[in-house]
Amino acid sequence: MKMMSISKYFISLILILVSGIYLQAQEENTQETDSIVVIHQYGLRLGTDLSKLARTFLETDYSGFEINGDYRLTELIFIAGALGSEERTIETDYLNSTATGSYFKGGFDINLYDNWAGMENLIYSGVRFGFSNFNQTLNSYTIYDVNSLTWGPKSSTESEKFSGLTAGWIEVLLGFKAEVLNNLFLGFNVQIKRRIFETEPENFENLYIPGFGRTFDSGVFGVGFGYNISYLIPLYKKAKK
Amino acid sequence: MKKCFLLLILIICSCEKDDVCSENAPTTPRLVIEFYDITAPEKTKIVPGLKAFGIDETNEIVEIINETVLNRTILTLPLNVNNTQSKFKLYERYKLEDGVESGNPDIITITYDIEKVYVSRACGYSINFDINTFKISEDSELWMDNYDFTLNNPITNENDVHIKIFH
Repeated sequence: MKMMSISKYFISLILILVSGIYLQAQEENTQETDSIVVIHQYGLRLGTDLSKLARTFLETDYSGFEINGDYRLTELIFIAGALGSEERTIETDYLNSTATGSYFKGGFDINLYDNWAGMENLIYSGVRFGFSNFNQTLNSYTIYDVNSLTWGPKSSTESEKFSGLTAGWIEVLLGFKAEVLNNLFLGFNVQIKRRIFETEPENFENLYIPGFGRTFDSGVFGVGFGYNISYLIPLYKKAKK
Repeated sequence: MKKCFLLLILIICSCEKDDVCSENAPTTPRLVIEFYDITAPEKTKIVPGLKAFGIDETNEIVEIINETVLNRTILTLPLNVNNTQSKFKLYERYKLEDGVESGNPDIITITYDIEKVYVSRACGYSINFDINTFKISEDSELWMDNYDFTLNNPITNENDVHIKIFH
């Protein structure tokens, strides 16, 4: 499990570096004259989160899938959204629980990167509203009892399901998308999230919320990341103002 | 941009201390018995040489961890979380000499409902006990005279006294 986590970050790191090189390469190669009118490509970009796919194959306690996309509104602003589902099992010394559900995220991205002529890369910041509909199953637990030596500990493997749970959150993200082949983008982003509402299961708590990620005892904040591959379906072109 | 990535990596790798159960977390409480004077019910009264043993479902004696012979007014006993009944043998003036036990044993039986209470992701659940009945078994030489188990019921922590025994 620990190896898996390490490999997860390691893969992410390599992918960041590779994508970084593409961005770098762009800066070095584009030594063109600036007398030409700059044309921007507008369209719908659709993609998926590769890190979720990788974790689905590598980790036994996780499976997830996400389709995400964005649509260019203006030169700098994109409408962005994602639809996904996740299943995650969390095990601690005293309990084992699985969260299953689907989520939706919608919002905007703003491109902060000033491209050279003909390039469509992004370094962007964005906001999302996220909503998740999920179930949580308490698979097993051992009663926390520091005096259990006398009579013996108590465990249960009778699963208990908490259905119809929901949660909503606001997410701020930062990332980049680099065009590695014509209309094909690789990107990485990190997300910081804050829950704004959730239904708490009775006599339990939401340990993982699909789309939001794991929760923390310290409060309503969460973190996440995505490694996306996406394809831009070109619709029309417009000159830079 | 490089600074950004460093920050991102730090965020992602942040520690998950929530997953370790803290020793300060509220655990399953034990039963707290306090001994009072039958002739002056407001006053606590020391039980000389008090020593407690558990009695399991098959009437076998169970040693209670950390339980020693002591003159005291307060006794703390772990209840059996795998059952809804616990039985204890409480000795007054307990002595163990050359493998021979002496003293005056009284047997108490407590029945209760158990309720699991969520503590945290790291500690899971603890148990609270709702006492239904308390009984002192009849014998020819009882050192206990009376009891009261309605003080702090259900049992949610060890700061309260749950049962008073008068002697």
